[in-house]
Parts: sequence; structure tokens; C-alpha cells
Amino acid sequence: MTAPPVHLARLETDVPGAPDAPLKLVPRNPQDVASILRHASDKGLNVQVWGGGTRSGFGAPPEPDIVMSMQGLVEVEKWEPDDLTLVVGAGASVEVIELMLSERNQTAVLPEVPGASTIGGVIATGASGFRRTRLYGTRERVLEATVVTGDGRIIRGGGRVVKNVTGYDLPRLMVGAFGSLGVVVSVCLRLWPAPPDRATVTVGTADDAQRVARPLAVLEDRESTRVFIWGTTADVAAKAAKLDGDVDEGHLWPSDPDGEFGWSLRVPPALTAEAVGHLRDSWDFVALHGVGELRAASEGLDGASELRGWAEAVGGHLVVTRAPVGGLDGFDPWGGSLPAIDVQRRLIAEFDPARVINPGRLPGGL
Amino acid sequence: MGYVDELRQVLGEENVLEEPLELHIYAKDASLIRGQANAVAFPQNVEDVAGIVKIAEAHKVPIVARGAGTGLAAGASPTEGGIVVVTTALKSMEIDVENRTAWVGAGVINLDLTKAAAQYGLQFAPDPSSQSACTIGGNVANNSGGPHCLAEGSTTSHVLGLEVVLAGGEVVVLGGQAPDPPGLDLKGLIVGSEGTMGIVTRALVRLIPLDPDVRTMLMAFPSVESSATTVSQVIAAGVVPAALELMDKRMVEVVENWLHAGLPTEAAAVLLAEVVGETEGVEAEAGLIADIATSNGATSVEVAETEEHRALLWKGRKSAFGAIAQLAPDYYLHDAVVPRTRLVETMKAVYEIADRYDLTMLNVFHAGDGNLHPLIAFDASEPDINQRVHDAGDEIVAVCLKNGGALSGEHGIGLEKRDMMRDNFTDLDLDAQARLKEAIDPGGVFNPNKVLPAGSRCFDFGGLRRQELPEGVWV
Repeated sequence: MTAPPVHLARLETDVPGAPDAPLKLVPRNPQDVASILRHASDKGLNVQVWGGGTRSGFGAPPEPDIVMSMQGLVEVEKWEPDDLTLVVGAGASVEVIELMLSERNQTAVLPEVPGASTIGGVIATGASGFRRTRLYGTRERVLEATVVTGDGRIIRGGGRVVKNVTGYDLPRLMVGAFGSLGVVVSVCLRLWPAPPDRATVTVGTADDAQRVARPLAVLEDRESTRVFIWGTTADVAAKAAKLDGDVDEGHLWPSDPDGEFGWSLRVPPALTAEAVGHLRDSWDFVALHGVGELRAASEGLDGASELRGWAEAVGGHLVVTRAPVGGLDGFDPWGGSLPAIDVQRRLIAEFDPARVINPGRLPGGL
Repeated sequence: MGYVDELRQVLGEENVLEEPLELHIYAKDASLIRGQANAVAFPQNVEDVAGIVKIAEAHKVPIVARGAGTGLAAGASPTEGGIVVVTTALKSMEIDVENRTAWVGAGVINLDLTKAAAQYGLQFAPDPSSQSACTIGGNVANNSGGPHCLAEGSTTSHVLGLEVVLAGGEVVVLGGQAPDPPGLDLKGLIVGSEGTMGIVTRALVRLIPLDPDVRTMLMAFPSVESSATTVSQVIAAGVVPAALELMDKRMVEVVENWLHAGLPTEAAAVLLAEVVGETEGVEAEAGLIADIATSNGATSVEVAETEEHRALLWKGRKSAFGAIAQLAPDYYLHDAVVPRTRLVETMKAVYEIADRYDLTMLNVFHAGDGNLHPLIAFDASEPDINQRVHDAGDEIVAVCLKNGGALSGEHGIGLEKRDMMRDNFTDLDLDAQARLKEAIDPGGVFNPNKVLPAGSRCFDFGGLRRQELPEGVWV
């Protein structure tokens, strides 16, 4: 690889934790991102966008020519608590932002156990929090997105209001797109006010959760099944009494399943309990009842093919979200087939014609 | 053979209209903009829709999908001629109680879905005011809202899958019951695309449980400011009511005169709030809202005691537009959105505009999410009035944009606001949107010249590269 142009060389910095690459760049603003992507498009270089490593083992990334860290785009541009909106750089840490929001009793309803995840990483991978059971997933949080396309255009879609149908829904299209259309550089998120009281109630089975109306989450792991509730003090007390289990104050979220390989099983919601029954005893997991999502981890991929076969037969998917380098050994991280793949290809070609951002991360060779 | 004959061959004689009077009926939706169709087709199933698309493409004639025609932005007005495809015969409905979803034909009326789901203790959250007439296909096309989307989100948050006929007559199923389907979210892109990307024939929608209990309350305020402050403080207290609707004095007077529901006509603003959930929860929340309202000077707080009482309170809100006929034969209903904190100043500016143009204006809107619906009542036979109504409307939208808002909260862009898109987005933004459309509908057969102004795709990138080079670059 030839030396980068001077204006890019100035952005060169080491990025701890990121995969090795001939060039590691830290853009300071959207214009820098545009310069880097234009350079990559001109030279045909692969760019791996690095946030905090959210599902960095997802899909099958090739060796990157450039690692572009988003750690320079972390600014909180505008927080309007009364409007329930926050405009923030995509490189901002989910944990830091949620901590800031909690000072005014607000939340962006992003993943509750984010680790080092950035907001951009959560959006690109489509990762949702446990509270999606009641408050829906990450795609419902993104009101506006500013995106740098693969060929270096800076575009904006959506708006900074909580309700908006002005033009095509570019912001939601970015969620789960793995950067295939462009790199999200900043977003306006819809916030949610946190009510005064919250509790975690341990119950016998997920069915017990049906005693209360629409809890925030019903999560099952190897230890227990827990119902997460919030509301006014009167409401939380009444719900806890109906659930008739051990009550802990606050929300005790489960940690990420432990194991070399991380994967996600997605099935129709009513099959969540059945899906749990298909797991091997050695696999760690968290099941989101009412959603149809199981996050699991294992030391290998033995048995994953059979489970994927069952999931696909019932209209679901098994997707590998984390794998050691070379560990997939031919196992397709996505499986299945995509509908309207020609349309998906044409969309990507319009935004990243040289296919430089995170190539190979999406299913179907996109 | 002409395309109308081909349509007859595919759909049957009885499902294709082309008599002048019939065409006239389908020449516009509920907006004020009239088009002219060459034919009206009534597909009976998805294969019919695919057949229509193929015929239209072969003859290069536009297709305009239409549900019940309740759209207010001329999205379903056939302003480019061609075939109006009326989806009202697509009435299948399969409710999956266990998974709380339903596959619903595009022609199913929103309220019919809600009623059918209620038998199983379920509901479809989006509830536009036109819900007794509008179709699910129309809701999907326009990403419709309604009072209850404050807490639950608009239609897109409730669409899990779509059966769509794309260009080439290709029938695809996008999404499904399982969460997070891999690949790009084409389903999400098509929701709200106003019929410009394909024709949705069925939608897989999310159903949510009926609420175990509800408290609906009506509060009267001495000023619009005090009602808006109440809204802010309620949300700041951690309560997101299922609905928070505001009516101004003029609207309350008109509605009361028609409905005799005992509405407080002396108030400057009336706030309708609804909280849902467990009994203990709704009682606590209703008490909290009442306290906040009182502390802001509310002159009355009325809590619905019975289901009939609640229905009456809602009737005042949902039938507000019907009551307008007392004032004038025509009305123009606007839809714009501002950040909630800018509501009061925006309202003041909106009243000022109406006064300046000497127009009768009333307001009823979704206060919780800053979604305004200024309504101008007028008599179209009055000379020059149409121009005044139009100009005032443009100014209202301009004020909303200036205050950090957007062109439309729930009615869509269609043709009505198409040319204002340039005020909301840069050329580059519009070019990106045009690319989305082009990738899905390369031949431009679906509802052409809607949503995006002419020339959106022709942006000249010549000046871009220099302008976007980072500061301090040596060139």
C-alpha cells in the first residue's frame, strides 16, 4: 500500500483494541470521514469502521486496509430534555451518554449492558436493549441521521422532532446496515423519561409475567427468570405484588452470555420458551420473552447448524455475533437467504459504489 | 391492445373502470389537489397487482396506489395520469394471538383491524383520526400516526413485515415475526414511501395487549402557555401518557356547539390526556397529571367516570374536523411538527399569520409530540380565497421549519409539500433520497413526481469536492 495523502496522514493515530491495519485513522469531523472514504473509494481500499467493537466479530470482515476509529466524533451537540431529543456524535460511548441522561431521569433506551459500545456501533449492528420488549428496538430511537456515504457525500435524513414523515426514512435504514450504505457520523435520538421507581422481580417461569400488563422486559438466563418493571411507586408496588416473586429494587440486568462464540437466535415471540429448550446445557444464554430473541454464547459451533435449521423452519434466523479469528471454519455467520437481494445490491451501489465500508459484513455477499 | 384492455383481461371486466364520471371520483384523495386517471383498477389479489405493474411498465404509464383516499397530501391524486390501483378488495386478515401479530390485507380498514383484534384482547396502536375509513395500506404508505403514537410510535414501529409488489411485478415478502431480520431494512424504507416504491398488498403488524385500565381526563386552562407547560412537566415527571391532545378556544367552541358534551368553552385551551396500564398505575398517574395541571392554573380537571363518558371526551377530539362544517363549507387541514418546547411561540406565530390573511383558523393537535394541525375554515367560492389559504399555509410551514421542526408529522409530503422539501433538505440530501427511490423503482413507474421535487437526482457534484475538503488541506 502506498503512503496516504498528507491530509490523511495527519489523522493517523494508534487505536487500541482495533484490528491491525496498514493505516489507522481518527477523523475529527464528518469532513475528515468524507476525505477518508473518498480516498478509499479512489484507491479501492477496505475501510473497517471501529467504534467500541460492538459485535466486531459479526459477519466475515476481510483484512482491512484502513481502520477508521470514530473516537473523535463524540460531541453532544444538543440535548433538549423537554423535547426528549439528543443530538450526539456516533463515536460517543453508550455508557457515558446513558449516564449523562440519567442525571435528568432520561434514557435513550440503548443496550443496558453496553460494554465499550458506541452509539454508531449499536446503530450499525442493529443491537437493541432488553427494554425492547416494551419500548421497542434501536430502530425506533433514531430520529435523524447524518451519514457519510462510501463515496464521501455527507447526507442527512429525518429530523430533530419525535414525530416526522418528511421524506424517505434514511435514519431507520441505517440501523443494522453495518455501514454498507455509509458511516453514521451523528444522530438525533428519541429519549424516554424514566419514571421514579423500578424493580426486578424473580418469578418461576416466563408465563408468570403475564400477570402484569406490558412489563419492560422478561428475561430468562441460567440463573432465573426476571421481570423488569418501572413506573410510579404505586404502580411498581402493585405490579410486584401481582408477580408474587422475590423483589429487588432497581434493574438487575443480566450480563452478556459468556463464551468464545456469541450468537443470536431470532424466532417468532411465542417460540421463545421452545427455543430455550433447544439449547445445550453448556451454552450460556439470555432469552427475551415476548420478543423472540435469545442471546447465547458457546465454546464452539457444534449443534449450531441443527439449531439454525429449526430456527429457519419456523421463520427465524441464527446469526453469529462474535467469533474468534478463523473460528467460523466455513460456518456462514448469517445463514438463510435475503429477499429482494437485487434491490439491496442496487441500494448499496448508489451509496457505496466501490464497496469500501465494512465489505463482507452483511449476508448474501453484500 | 391498449393497456386498459390488457387490464380487463387480467382483472376481469368488472374490476376496471374508465368512464369519465368514474375517473372523476378517483381523480383526487382528501386533499385539495385533483389529478386525472386514465383507468381505475381493483385488484382482487396479489397476482392481480403484479399483473397491473407489468402492464403499466410495458406501456410506461404511472401507477398510483390508493386505499380509502383519506390522504391529505395528494399522495393518491393521479396528477401524472395513468392507473389508479385501488386496494380496498385486499381484505384478508389472519390474527396470530400467540405471537401478537396479524397479516392484514392492504384494504382492511384500520378500525376493523382494531375491532377484530379486540376480541383477542389485542389492539393495533396507530389510530389516525380517519381510522373508521382509512386502510392499513394507506397507513403503511404514509407511516400514519394518531393520538396514541405519542407513547407507541407511528405505523413504522408496528409493521414487522410486508408483502410488496416491486418493479417488474416481483412479489417479495420482507421481514417477519422473528425480530431483526438480516440485511437492509427494506420494509422500513417502504413504510412511509407514499406508494413511490411499490404496492403493499399485505402487512404483518404488531398487536399490543389491550390496556387493563385507562383514565381519560379533560383539563381547562386559562392560556395556551399553561397547558403547554403542563404537558412538559408531565413528561418531565416520567409519565408518557398514551395521548396528550390540545384544542384551542375556537375549536372547543365549535365542537361544543355541535356535540354538546359539556366542554369548557370559556377556557383558552383544553387538554385531553389519557393514561393506560394497571389500575394502581393509572390512578397514580392521573393524580399526578391533575396536580401538575392545577399547579399551572387549570380551571377544571374532569376525569371520565364511565366508558360512555370517555367515549364522549374522545368524540370531541376525533370528530373535531366534522364540526367545522358549521363555520364554512371547506377546510384546509395542515400538518407540521415542531420541537415541543417551541409549541407556544409557534402557535402565536400561526395565529398571527391567520389574522394577517384574514382567515378563520382553529387548532387541535397532538401536544405531546409537537405535531400541529392548524385548520383553516373557508368558503372556496369566495374570490381569491384559495390563494390566501395557500399562501398562509406556506407561511405556517415556514415558521415550523424556522422553529426547528419538520414539514410533516403524519400526513406525508405527497404533492402538497413536495416543493417545500428543498426548504427542509440540502440538494445532496434530496439526491440521496432520489437514489433510494431509483434503486427500488428504476423505471419510475410508482407514483412518479411525488415526495421529491423535480431535479432531485440531478445534483451536480462539481463543486462538492473542493467545498468538503477538511480545513487546512494543502491543495
